[in-house]
Amino acid sequence: MASLNMKATLLSLLLLLVGLGIWEAMNQVPAASTGLSEYERMMGGADQEARVPPPSQVFSHAWDELSDPFYDAGPNDKGIGIQLAYSLYRVLTGYLAAALIAIPLGFVIGMSPLMHKALNPFIQVLRPISPLAWMPLALFIIRDSEGSAIFVIFICSIWPMLINTAFGVANVRTDWIKVARTHELSPLKTAFLVILPAAAPTILTGMRISIGIAWLVIVAAEMLVGGTGIGYYVWNEWNNLDLNSVIFSILMIGIVGMLLDMTLAAVTKLVQYED
Amino acid sequence: MATKSLGNPFDADTSLTHTNDCSCRLCQAESANPSGLADDDQRLVLLEQQAEQGEGHSHSAEAGGLSFDSSEDLLDRAVESAIVRGVFGHNDTSRRNFIRLMGGGTLATVLGSMIPLEKVKAAVKESMGPLEKTKLKVGFVPITCATPIIMAQPMGFYAKYGLDVDVIKTAGWAVARDMSLNGEYDASHMLTPMPLAMSMGAGSTATPYIMPAVENINGQAIVLHNKHKDKRDPKQWKGFKFGVPFDYSMHNFLLRYYVAEHGLDPDQDIQIRVVPPPEMVANLRAGNLDGYLSPDPFNQRAVFEKIGFLHILTKDIWEGHPCCAFACSQKFATEMPNTYAALFRAIVDATHFSAKAENREEIARAISPKNYLNQPEVVVRQVLTGRYVDGLEEKIYDVPDRIDFDPFPWHSMAVWILTQMKRWGYISGDVDYKKIAEQVYVASETGKVMEELGYTPPATTYKKHIIMGKTFDYNEPEEYINSFAIKRV
Amino acid sequence: MSRHFVSIEGLSKVYPSKEQDLVVFEGANIGIDKGEFVCIIGHSGCGKSTILNVMAGLETPTTGTMIMDNKEASGPSLDRGVVFQNYSLLPWLTALQNVSFGVRARWPKWNKAKVDAHSSHFLEMVGLSGALHRKPSELSGGMCQRVSIARAFATSPKLLLLDEPFGALDALTRGVIQDELLKIWSETQQTVFMITHDVDEAILLADRVLLMTNGPHARVAESVRINIPRPRNRANIIEDPAYYKIRNYLVNFLVKRSGQLSGSAGQVGGATQEVDPSVEINPKNEQSAALKAAI
Repeated sequence: MASLNMKATLLSLLLLLVGLGIWEAMNQVPAASTGLSEYERMMGGADQEARVPPPSQVFSHAWDELSDPFYDAGPNDKGIGIQLAYSLYRVLTGYLAAALIAIPLGFVIGMSPLMHKALNPFIQVLRPISPLAWMPLALFIIRDSEGSAIFVIFICSIWPMLINTAFGVANVRTDWIKVARTHELSPLKTAFLVILPAAAPTILTGMRISIGIAWLVIVAAEMLVGGTGIGYYVWNEWNNLDLNSVIFSILMIGIVGMLLDMTLAAVTKLVQYED
Repeated sequence: MATKSLGNPFDADTSLTHTNDCSCRLCQAESANPSGLADDDQRLVLLEQQAEQGEGHSHSAEAGGLSFDSSEDLLDRAVESAIVRGVFGHNDTSRRNFIRLMGGGTLATVLGSMIPLEKVKAAVKESMGPLEKTKLKVGFVPITCATPIIMAQPMGFYAKYGLDVDVIKTAGWAVARDMSLNGEYDASHMLTPMPLAMSMGAGSTATPYIMPAVENINGQAIVLHNKHKDKRDPKQWKGFKFGVPFDYSMHNFLLRYYVAEHGLDPDQDIQIRVVPPPEMVANLRAGNLDGYLSPDPFNQRAVFEKIGFLHILTKDIWEGHPCCAFACSQKFATEMPNTYAALFRAIVDATHFSAKAENREEIARAISPKNYLNQPEVVVRQVLTGRYVDGLEEKIYDVPDRIDFDPFPWHSMAVWILTQMKRWGYISGDVDYKKIAEQVYVASETGKVMEELGYTPPATTYKKHIIMGKTFDYNEPEEYINSFAIKRV
Repeated sequence: MSRHFVSIEGLSKVYPSKEQDLVVFEGANIGIDKGEFVCIIGHSGCGKSTILNVMAGLETPTTGTMIMDNKEASGPSLDRGVVFQNYSLLPWLTALQNVSFGVRARWPKWNKAKVDAHSSHFLEMVGLSGALHRKPSELSGGMCQRVSIARAFATSPKLLLLDEPFGALDALTRGVIQDELLKIWSETQQTVFMITHDVDEAILLADRVLLMTNGPHARVAESVRINIPRPRNRANIIEDPAYYKIRNYLVNFLVKRSGQLSGSAGQVGGATQEVDPSVEINPKNEQSAALKAAI
């Protein structure tokens, strides 16, 4: 009998095909008559109303874009590969900067109730602020659109990592700390040999949440600020009301986001342990 | 543009201040009197009468058709023109009288012996000193108003003046302002009210900005949703929601003026929202907006997408109204004068090129791709050539100057904008209209560059404008504001 | 009185509170000789775990000191190894790595090969040579406890503290591990202090059993000598004549006398009585007989 995984895959594919089929059938572009008059051309074709493009159009457009993803035709027109690369660069820079601060700070907060109480009000106030609200302030202070985008990533992805690290560290089983103590481990060694591996799954869960947020935020930030990047790409195609490209770029955003998440899920598996 | 032609300065019959077949009162008076109008006062009187009666000069681009074989010829002519007019103190009549008496050739010889014309021409054509910076970033918002700024890149105008310019597509006006203020852009496409607002500190920290050139005149429209095809009278627009691209924009001020003239209060009877131009079409379709006054090509795009129709072109509200501008900080102009001069010339040159009807199709082709406007070429072409459909009737219209390009930043336009800003409460207190206008709209500099490049700038920097039949007198800004029934002041 | 290897003097634990301080136990004096195996028995809440934690350095007493090997001992130390009640193995490490963890803490300069060899040796001693690379989640409770024991022994501490190590195991597994504990102890000859509830276990393993009265105000009432020769064997030990005498004595204590002798019952203070129930004297007549036997 086919295994559970195989059955699930087949079912997923079937659902996808049925969904695409319905979408295609409902959005057929009427066949263009032999020639459009000048008037008709100016009016945008014989179609009575603009419609959502059918999947066949989206796929053919996707094929075009993906077959030459790294072209560069000027500062406002680059291939999808380059756009994604720019966005990833910004995300990873802001994200890593956030990790470098969140994890050590989370450790401190987790291990010291005093620091936890002292820093908690700041965390609670800053955490819910939307990245788009930070944007104007960042632009004003940092005066550089690239730097502002990275800062906005930083300030939005730091919170899940910080909070999860603090939580993970604070909730390490006392038994294991006792083991460290009876083996005369220095505080630093205790932190690295016992607390870190113990809290690692929680910390990585925080990192996984953060990368999702960071990827979400970069698209929005780039739409505001422009330049090169997938957010800018979406906005540019949106300007042209080119739904083909918009749908295609949305799919790409989703796929890259999924890949980022899968990467972190794999890393989480490495440090997972059963208790 | 081309109200003034680059006429031959050595020709007694060519007027350098009016087109050849101009039929305004002044020209009629001049042609009636063979010795021309010697009396300056009488000229002014006639000019004012003209303005009051709402008579304009004919502005068709073909009139006074001059052709030059190359831009070098253009420059040569410009130099000659400048020198000759300088000699005669810009009094066109005395120049023509002199030439009638002495003959054009004599004048040329006499001048040639006094002033080394050839050397001067050569000097002007040479670069104006070494460029401090050749790699520049100029921002633009992807609308047809920015045509000269945009097409100067693919069509080589920047390169001609030794500049390597990256035209950077900008997400919106606020971003253009911010990037300009923090120095990421050396210069930028802006809305004509923006340099005024930025210099005054309205909506940002006060930074002195100058606007050496207007990008386009006309070129906008009021679009309404197809469901309002029966509501062509603005009085029926109570409760409508309109979109404008930015608060400090001609779109906002023109819309307000238009509805106010029809008795609606733009703050009470309708709702005006700031919406980025690309989103206007989507919002219209979604029903969030009933209409908008937006930069093209988004007006034409609404027709193309079959959601809206063109209610009125803005040129029918105010013929020749300014719209978008090329602006940079005063700091840029003073610290890098040679670069600034080169950039300025490139823009003015590009603007003149764009003005010519025969170039419009080529330009539409150049600026439609993804790198620039990213719009379907058929839409951009309809806007630039003025051969378009309006979504209402099944016919093709031909309005060649639906959009036009004239770089001259009239001080009087600045004063008008300032009066409207005061009228609607964007600025308050005492405003020294003329001082601000002259500080920001560097009309005299533009005039000089225009001359150097061979176009004839207007003799004065102020003129009276007629908007929807009402005259605007730049000498009486406060009275003008007070003359309106609907205002916030 | 010979000087003991481990000496606990005047230990007490008091939790201060608004109404009345809670005296868990007081006046505990315990002496352990080198190589001796001592068990302590008492009801829950009498403070045995606290004594052990103090001895391990994980808790501080309200009064009293601990002296080991002529040095005052306070705070945790590798010289006092601990086997916890719920094994406390680090779940992300394999059995071998768990033991190596301790070994490396003790001898940080050893190279990997030496550490691994040493650790494997102790794991073999507890019968786990086939499970070296398994993580605790893949081991049964009994196996985990064996790893814990191996880890404790592998660091060669001067004093080994076991906190009810077999409490969570079923009787059969317990039996097997007790044998192994005996085996490993007879090899290493370490000094051991163990808490247990199981009377039979105490008799099997210990040289002496300390009897603790009920709390509050608990105290170490008696020190019972287990006069059964080594090596002891689970199968045969019940045939020793002293076995049931000692057993009855201990059970009697737990059932009846732990309450009667407690501080809260009025019997405050008093030194720990040394008792040898194998001697043919009425156990109730402890005073003189116990003294004689102890000297």
